[in-house]
Amino acid sequence: MAESAKAAKDLPREGFISGATLESVERALRRSQAFLAECQRLSQTGSFSWRVVTDEITWSEQLYRIYELEIGVPVTLELIRTRVHPEDLTLLEKMIEQARDGGNDFEWLYRLLMPDHSIKYLHAVAHATRDQDGQLEYIATVQDVTARRLSEEARDKAQSELAQVARIMSLGALTASIAHEVNQPLSGIVTNASTCLRMLSADPPNVEGARETARRTIRDANRASDVITRLRTLFSKKDAAMEEVDLNDAVQEVIALLLTDLRRNRVILVAELAGNLPCLTGDRIQLQQVILNLLRNASEAMSGVNDRPRELLIRTERDENDHLRLSIRDVGTGFDPEAAEKLFRAFYTTKKDGMGIGLSVSRSIVENHHGRLWASLNDGPGVTFSFSIPCQSEASMAANSKVHPPAA
Amino acid sequence: MKLPQDRNGAEHALIAVVDDDESVRESLPDLIQEFGFAVHAFSSAEEFFGSDSVGRTRCLVLDIAMPGMNGLDVQRALKDRGLKIPIIFITAQKDDAVRRRALEQGAVAFLFKPFSDTALLGALNSAVEP
Repeated sequence: MAESAKAAKDLPREGFISGATLESVERALRRSQAFLAECQRLSQTGSFSWRVVTDEITWSEQLYRIYELEIGVPVTLELIRTRVHPEDLTLLEKMIEQARDGGNDFEWLYRLLMPDHSIKYLHAVAHATRDQDGQLEYIATVQDVTARRLSEEARDKAQSELAQVARIMSLGALTASIAHEVNQPLSGIVTNASTCLRMLSADPPNVEGARETARRTIRDANRASDVITRLRTLFSKKDAAMEEVDLNDAVQEVIALLLTDLRRNRVILVAELAGNLPCLTGDRIQLQQVILNLLRNASEAMSGVNDRPRELLIRTERDENDHLRLSIRDVGTGFDPEAAEKLFRAFYTTKKDGMGIGLSVSRSIVENHHGRLWASLNDGPGVTFSFSIPCQSEASMAANSKVHPPAA
Repeated sequence: MKLPQDRNGAEHALIAVVDDDESVRESLPDLIQEFGFAVHAFSSAEEFFGSDSVGRTRCLVLDIAMPGMNGLDVQRALKDRGLKIPIIFITAQKDDAVRRRALEQGAVAFLFKPFSDTALLGALNSAVEP
């Protein structure tokens, strides 16, 4: 670029331009163009200009290469639509509409579906300008970020698998220690009962001995029962930590946690969080567990949906009677209206490897916050899960000074 | 201590039960006696080695997980001392590696708690076989 500018500077303002000077300017220009083209190729970045009023679109060679179209073919929105991933077409229309009206710079992440069915991830950055006639024109770069995106996804997948393994392992360790503690008294029961039978079969039967083994059996059975009781109290030991909770903050933290998962499941998350929500008094961690559970369920409910965008709406608002309501709406397969209450029952699950404690524990948590959790079928496809919790006033807070965790 | 004798005056084989679990020491000897053996119970390997039963023990029923010397330590210690006492391991821990090692080192049987009386009797009979 600098070369051709320099060469151009050497041109006289008017008068005779020698062939040699013109040649050197052309050469400098060609070199600078080649330099630019090479930069685009190296960085996998194409560029385009879009004159909105005439829909005149000009592409750089690299952009043709990215789209795998023949260089020089006239570019129309129709042509672009043939390459954009079908799931991103609505996004494309929205972007075009906004760009036509807006006249603002914009950035856009979208996918291409290539003829060989591979997917490319593109990152477009557009700058709004006015051309010499004052007409709106966008100048944009489009970078192929597929490689980076794929490695990010691989990393996220590995992280999530690792977390999953850690979770399973600790569950495994827990199960092992429970088994160990319960196996000791169980072993005593089997031994004592076996002895009892033999003593009674002896000639003469050893009744006093048999009685003693029966006593021991009862004692060992009680021991086993104590182990279970001890474990239950261990799990419900954590008293709920009462504090002022900003529901929107809590929601956003959970969303941040799930963002990659949701993206991987092609879920389009729309958050409508009311401003000026009063704080509620409760256990932030427990409430976040509920939100996490509901969001995961919603995402999974849509895992088989392919004919419509997987839109997940999460909304917070003020409810009547000074309550805060949170709703999570999916467009999944819904549920049988007859089974509505069953959903919240412990150990009920439709998931292949689910444990079915999510909704029943979630409901316990909400009820411990003096609220309620319910599910309703949408007008269209899918379900909305909502909970409504009172924003406790100072007076009622003093009266209910402790929120107890759910009974196991 | 005099060993119990049956009607013919022959001594019952002496079985030693070594387990730190009190309920095992309470229940297992009675069962083994019903089988027709003589039994001594010990709460630790150290207690067993410190007793005068070691030379007369025909078979050891041994727990794996014990504070101090564990079951595998005992197996090794017996080998080191040249004491050929057959061992039946009993344990609540389902660890296949430990099981394999114990059997490789010559254990007669490796039973997971809770085990049936017939399993134990079978193991005792093969251990005490002349």
